[in-house]
Amino acid sequence: MKQLVLAVSLLLLAVAPLAAQEATTITWLNCCNWPSEEVIAEFEAENPDINVEVETVGFNALFEQIQVRLGGGASDPDVLSVDVPVTAGYGLRGWLLPLDDVFSDEDRADWLPAALAAGTYNGELISAPVSTSTQLLFINSDMFEAAGIEVPGVDDRLTYEQVADIAEQLTQDTDGDGVTDQWGFSWEQTVRIYQLQPLAVGLGGQSIGDDGLTVDGVINSQAWIDGFTFYSNMFNESMVAPQDDTIGTSDLFWSGKMGMMIAGPWNINRYLREAENIEFNWTIARHPYFEDGEVTTPTGSWHIGVNINSDSPDEAKRFVQWISTGAGAEAWWRRGSGDFPAQQSVLALFQSDEEFDEGVKYFLRVAADEATVNPDPRAVSPGYLEYEQILQDAFQDIRTGADVEESLNLAVARIESEMAKYRG
Amino acid sequence: MTGRERFMPYVFLLPALALIVIFNLFPTIATLIESLHGNSLVRGGRVFVGLGNFNRVLNDPIFWKSMQVTGLFSVLVNTIQVVLALGLALLANSRVRGITVFRSIYLLPVAVSINVTTVVWGLMLNSEGGLINGMLSLVGIERQPFLIAPTHALWSIIVLATWKGVPLWTLFFLAGLQGIPQTVLEAARIDGAGRWQCFRFVTLPLLRGVLLFVLVADTVANFLLFAPVLLLTKGGPQLSTNLVMYETYRRGFVYGDLGVSSAMLSLMLLLVFAVIGVQFTLLRRRT
Amino acid sequence: MGAKTGRAISAAQPLQGLKLPSHVWRHTGERLLIYVLLVLVALMALLPLMWAFAASFTPNARVFDYAFPFSLRALFPVEFTLEAYDAIFARGFGDALKNSFWLSGVTVVLGGTINALAGFAFARFEFRGKRILFLTVILLPFLVPVDLTAIPRFILVNSLDWRNTWQALIVPGLGNSLAIFLFRQFFEEIPQDLIDAARVDGASWLRLFFNVVLPLSRPVLITAALFLFLQQWDAYFWPLLVAPRPELRLVQVAISTAVEEHRTRWNEQLAGSMLAAIVPILLLLPFQRYYIQAVTSSGLKD
Repeated sequence: MKQLVLAVSLLLLAVAPLAAQEATTITWLNCCNWPSEEVIAEFEAENPDINVEVETVGFNALFEQIQVRLGGGASDPDVLSVDVPVTAGYGLRGWLLPLDDVFSDEDRADWLPAALAAGTYNGELISAPVSTSTQLLFINSDMFEAAGIEVPGVDDRLTYEQVADIAEQLTQDTDGDGVTDQWGFSWEQTVRIYQLQPLAVGLGGQSIGDDGLTVDGVINSQAWIDGFTFYSNMFNESMVAPQDDTIGTSDLFWSGKMGMMIAGPWNINRYLREAENIEFNWTIARHPYFEDGEVTTPTGSWHIGVNINSDSPDEAKRFVQWISTGAGAEAWWRRGSGDFPAQQSVLALFQSDEEFDEGVKYFLRVAADEATVNPDPRAVSPGYLEYEQILQDAFQDIRTGADVEESLNLAVARIESEMAKYRG
Repeated sequence: MTGRERFMPYVFLLPALALIVIFNLFPTIATLIESLHGNSLVRGGRVFVGLGNFNRVLNDPIFWKSMQVTGLFSVLVNTIQVVLALGLALLANSRVRGITVFRSIYLLPVAVSINVTTVVWGLMLNSEGGLINGMLSLVGIERQPFLIAPTHALWSIIVLATWKGVPLWTLFFLAGLQGIPQTVLEAARIDGAGRWQCFRFVTLPLLRGVLLFVLVADTVANFLLFAPVLLLTKGGPQLSTNLVMYETYRRGFVYGDLGVSSAMLSLMLLLVFAVIGVQFTLLRRRT
Repeated sequence: MGAKTGRAISAAQPLQGLKLPSHVWRHTGERLLIYVLLVLVALMALLPLMWAFAASFTPNARVFDYAFPFSLRALFPVEFTLEAYDAIFARGFGDALKNSFWLSGVTVVLGGTINALAGFAFARFEFRGKRILFLTVILLPFLVPVDLTAIPRFILVNSLDWRNTWQALIVPGLGNSLAIFLFRQFFEEIPQDLIDAARVDGASWLRLFFNVVLPLSRPVLITAALFLFLQQWDAYFWPLLVAPRPELRLVQVAISTAVEEHRTRWNEQLAGSMLAAIVPILLLLPFQRYYIQAVTSSGLKD
């Protein structure tokens, strides 16, 4: 009998609610384990009545968390990081609080116009721009010199054809065991549309039909087929890029095993943190383009929104206002994620601050400028998540040797089938 | 039983069953009911669509492709795991010095979570320079595209699921073997039965109960498995590892299409019932 | 008490399978073959763990250095370093270990008790609706993946206002179909005489259960405890949904923090993984003979 009493009392103990929480604690569902403590401390120092608690989850986990929690009508998180192209989908589902009353005209004018537009759904701003992004060509200069190839300057822009040619010269089996151990080139995110879109758009393709739903005739157009044939060749023909991406591109590059990668400027911050372990010389160049095509660069990044069911919408809005504008945005860029700020006033610091005058940090100034060169936003569609996921399958298939046209046609069939529900 | 005693069974049952009803049965039923609803995003709100979702699913080539993958996976993985587990149990039942040490080692993978198993094996199966390819190259076998070729990826999933799954089933078989009275085996041997005959006509029939349990439990466990696919192959390449459970997860939690996801889950549940039913009938009939 | 009843069980179910007659293994060649097989299988079981263990003590950039072409050095740390362990503990891995340990422990005690009670009812009582209850309440949940029914469960827990509390983690995991099934199988084999004797002495059913049945049932209690422990120890998806607050972070979730948007710190992920594996391994191995007993003494064998 004693055991039973013990069990029951334990049960009661377990069920007794935890101590009541402070009234103005808001939670922020954030991505990717970015360091946030310092930035939150700054906000809390300025706003002693608000306590911000950060929950951070991995990139993929973030979307399922939002799906279940906001889809299930939970009141938390109060604030959430939003990958910009999912804005329309969340807007359609009515998950995010309109933020139009939060921001002044100056705030709005300061954001990059493309970012402001991407955060707006049905005429209402629902996800406030925090960061933007761009991509650069990272170059292992030592590897170039060892192969007798001239190292391009930071403002040079190679063609994809040149990249492919150089990559072939760099790809080597240095220890003669029959296996490539020095790779020529790859993309940092080998299967994400974010990074691969310029391959098609640079050749005159479009990311999605004008209605934001149609993909037939769009993502299987000649531009897409040509762009992704180039992509396929890098993995399957010239084999300058590793087919298996379990070990990430940036890990290969920073351990000196890859000559070039197209990657985000966050890699510059990574280098600054880990410089003592990186033993080779490297530099950057502008984003490549096709000889017969246009220059176009990836863009878009993290926005921030407020849960429509939040118990503390006012506090949540104050936090969102702080971190997406002015000093808060600068703090988040400098001491938080390190991603490029979406505020022109903060972006201007790359040109005016003398810390960006030379050395590795100068590359950030170049990147800030590259972010303004014909940036091409991702598809705006309520079905963006389906679109992205299915394209990811297609890119994975192409990377591992499947026929380009067949893979894109399969993706068309699958995406069209998912988009049907948004057509009504 | 006296008046008060009649309630005794329910007193014993109540705590566990109430919790299972609330936290397992209710969510299951709610999910199944969801399969009759659609989220009409254009008109707004949740609407009853009858068997519309089932209609969509049954006409979806992706679903049928994933059924094929699931069927192939189940047949292979369950056969391999049950045979291996039985073989290992016979081996671990050997009366040799140090056998308990080996048994302990064999049990280790039980303690490793499926996520950790997936991460570690994913790295070891790397096609460019993973540990397994490194070992194969020592014996002159060329590199295998374990996770990136449609011909290999499902097998890779099977390998890691087997590494994680077999030890538990081995334990059940080992217990079954140890429960067989020695006198029965002795008697068979005195009658002149060879080792294979002893196994076939004495051991195996006496293991029938354990075999049925392991077969059913293993089948169910493998039907439910999708973490390795989620973490490693995302259903690819070319949908070669796109198990139904993974497709169900993706429709529900990534695309947010709960109706279709629930319809898939319902169909899958029916299938599991059918398969288990067949297993029961086949093994029971031998009685 | 425990020792005496332990013997009672082995008397009922003799455990003499180990003693094969000597003539079976009379050839040393055969014995050698068995050892070769035993060692090979052991290597297969150990290889992933040895590599991961070695890699967790290696600087991140050198984790894959000796994998291809394979060298035995892949199984020993190159440039031994504790940096991965330092890093994960700096991010609060110690608290996650403590949290998971507490969660699994509470689940074992509470879940073990209530599932044993239910298993006993199914094994020893006749009552209306027994068969249908067994099929719907025990078998059905066993066939459904919990993660895929998470949304209604989440809405339920949310409406109870249990978000970010221990009970959201504990309570839904208590009732466990597999544990009930194992208990039922085991309790069915307890000799009726023992129960009759206690009943004649006037013991109530509950007293009989706690004072007579449970002490007899150490093998199945330990086995069910193992399943309940692992279920909570390995939990990832549900805790992330209902209790994402850092104070409640659990082991598997903590491991995943080594994965960032653009890169993974492999050595840290493997360090977390090894720590997550070691705790159940230490709990698992010493009790091995009980798992075997629990199954041997259950009705499964025929």
